[in-house]
Amino acid sequence: MSSHASSVTRATRFSLRSGIILALAACCLATLVFAATPSSSTLNPVNGSSATWAGNGIAGATTDETTCVDGTDCDVYTITLAGSPTNYKGLVLAISISHQVKLNDYDLYVHKGGLTGPVIASSTGGIPETGEAVVIDPTVSGTGVYTVHVVDSTVAPGDPYSGVATIVTPPSDSPAHGTAPTYANYQSPTGLGDNSGEPSIGANFNSGRIMTQAVFDTLQVTFNTNTSPATATWLLKDGPNTSITTLDPILFTDSHTGRTIVSQLFGTTSLSAFTDNDGETYSVSQGGGIASGVDHQTVGGGPFRLCTADQLLVTPVPCAQLAVRGPLTQYPNAVYYASQDIGDAEMALSQDGGLTYEEAHPMYTLVDCGGLHGHIKVSSSGIVYVPNKRCGSTQGLIVSMDNGLTFTVQPVTGSTPNSSDPSIGIGSKGRVYFGYVAGDGHPHITVSDDQGRSWHNDLDVGAPFSIRNTVFPEVVAGDNDRASFFFLGTPSAGDGTGADTGTPFNGVWHGYIATTYNGGKTWFTVDATPNDPVQLGVICTQGTTCPSGTRNLLDFNDLTVDKAGRVFAAYTDGCITAACIARGNNTTASHTRLDNDQATKATIIRQSTGLSLFKGQDATPLRP
Amino acid sequence: MQRTVIPALLLLSVAPLAIAKQPAPRILGLHLGMPYAQAQSRLKEIGQFKSEDEGQQVWTLSHDQRYQYAIVGFDRSRQLRYITVLARPEGKPISYSDLGDLASATRSGGPGNLRYTWKAHDDIGGFEYVVIAKGKNNRYLDRYAVKRLDVEGEMEDRDH
Repeated sequence: MSSHASSVTRATRFSLRSGIILALAACCLATLVFAATPSSSTLNPVNGSSATWAGNGIAGATTDETTCVDGTDCDVYTITLAGSPTNYKGLVLAISISHQVKLNDYDLYVHKGGLTGPVIASSTGGIPETGEAVVIDPTVSGTGVYTVHVVDSTVAPGDPYSGVATIVTPPSDSPAHGTAPTYANYQSPTGLGDNSGEPSIGANFNSGRIMTQAVFDTLQVTFNTNTSPATATWLLKDGPNTSITTLDPILFTDSHTGRTIVSQLFGTTSLSAFTDNDGETYSVSQGGGIASGVDHQTVGGGPFRLCTADQLLVTPVPCAQLAVRGPLTQYPNAVYYASQDIGDAEMALSQDGGLTYEEAHPMYTLVDCGGLHGHIKVSSSGIVYVPNKRCGSTQGLIVSMDNGLTFTVQPVTGSTPNSSDPSIGIGSKGRVYFGYVAGDGHPHITVSDDQGRSWHNDLDVGAPFSIRNTVFPEVVAGDNDRASFFFLGTPSAGDGTGADTGTPFNGVWHGYIATTYNGGKTWFTVDATPNDPVQLGVICTQGTTCPSGTRNLLDFNDLTVDKAGRVFAAYTDGCITAACIARGNNTTASHTRLDNDQATKATIIRQSTGLSLFKGQDATPLRP
Repeated sequence: MQRTVIPALLLLSVAPLAIAKQPAPRILGLHLGMPYAQAQSRLKEIGQFKSEDEGQQVWTLSHDQRYQYAIVGFDRSRQLRYITVLARPEGKPISYSDLGDLASATRSGGPGNLRYTWKAHDDIGGFEYVVIAKGKNNRYLDRYAVKRLDVEGEMEDRDH
């Protein structure tokens, strides 16, 4: 017994000693092989102060910064800027990385402070680029510690990167260069989409078709690209239970799986069905996951948030918890249903492709944000986002990193609340573009590279057209650096979104699309309905308190992108007769609601030319 | 054997006489159907106005040991349609069973996301209402709400 105990003790000691040695060896190996070399530097406020480092041999593949494991498929380099911010007047910190093989793709993120600090700059270009670069103004973001995080997007072994950080004089700002996209409008044929307030739109990457829904009609739209300009065929493809009654209509297409979910708010839940063949056949679903959900439902979906193999090794317990909320059937992606409830807003996950939903989880209460919210979007790494037009003194973004189990409310710093629901687009590597109407009515878009914890490049994209009133912001993104922002706007000042109880608002509304190809630094803004106004007079955004004749367009439009990166917008056209259009184009005529058609006609804007939202398609220019 | 059977039979015979406790259609002196002005008066007694969104008001409760916020919504005739109260994080905990008989509630969700739902009828007001208590804890609630089932919100977004 004693001998046995002694041998166990010896074995344990040996095991412990071996473990410690192995762990130390692994640590040393990790430091030697995987960490940036050197790991840090200090730069001074002098033009030309510089440091270099090498990222030795890391390799791997990640979805975005949140899915990498330091020392395995990402590494860290720390820069300390000496002095005070004022010492850097007329100077900037330029950071770049480069590698050799065009088939590899590294991404560069710079955090202020440690890795949990805000991402103040990032460069996430893709293949075939062999470098990434950012410029930081220390007079704005301060001195002290910056953490450079280099992430393997797709990197095969044997192509280490090298990094350079230099204090230089700032490069001159350049406006958006290149050619702006152009667009064409396709109105639904008579008898289809005649009553189409608040449309949703989705693109099925498998079939190439567009699906759209507004009020009672679910429409399948096929564009014949054998002719140019392309022609559209519209077919009615109503769900079995979504053309009976309509309170709030919603359609969501998971572009990658090709599944379209249609939903009509009904009592405490929604009537809903899904189709995998663009409306040829449907399966009726549970409808939603909120027993008492009262209003303004939204359906969205995308990949589940699951751990990579590397993350599983490092953090097995959280990974197992995530996996529990993973797919339960062969349908690979998550579907989410969210709605305002009694004093709060909730979200329910479907693990079977929208057939059934779990008991909903609270996202926030009215103490945090307004009850009504924008539409759900899911990143490629499975992060769930819901935008909100009012969270305290700013707009907000509700974020779930665990498949809709828990939520945090991130203020969109720099924004101001408004009455239109904001919208987000998510780039392929996780960049969030938040499009919103500011408190002054101008259309703004701002960017986050850290899941909404910090925001940058907030721009008024309506400035080229002097837009003063805006409604229905809608955003879609493609590659990380590319996004489009659709909104209705008018240069007319005054209360263009109110109840119009005094002197009628005088204004002509058009549909505008702003597009960025450089991560939100600059935008092309285009009038996508240049000769055909969308509405004359007011567009009331005060819900059911709006007087008759002011809310024909209801509450939102929608925007999507097809497999080629071509942008499609769905909107309701309130001005469709020749007389109304002519009046809208006559700059000296009256343009009040009394001059408007009050129509609700389903219309789609289709990108005709210009670069798409997927760089990989640049070699094949879009044809009208 | 006989000694255990008789008390059991007695208990069974008495059980139907006991009335399951239903949660009341009121919280903190606010009751469903209460006119707007009266509700405002009561809310001012118990708290401070914090914010309003789409006709729904958030009030910070001043002195309540259990609840930190009250959220209220009104119907189109400006009567109180729903009341939600949020538990004070460090306050006196409230059991689900404090509200009503759990046996008469529908339990849904699971650990970390539990809710009890009662549907009841207010004989005085003559309306149906629902009571929903939610919480992460299996015993204590985070919030609960009472809501009339037969009316729509003052600004509820019924589009058509």
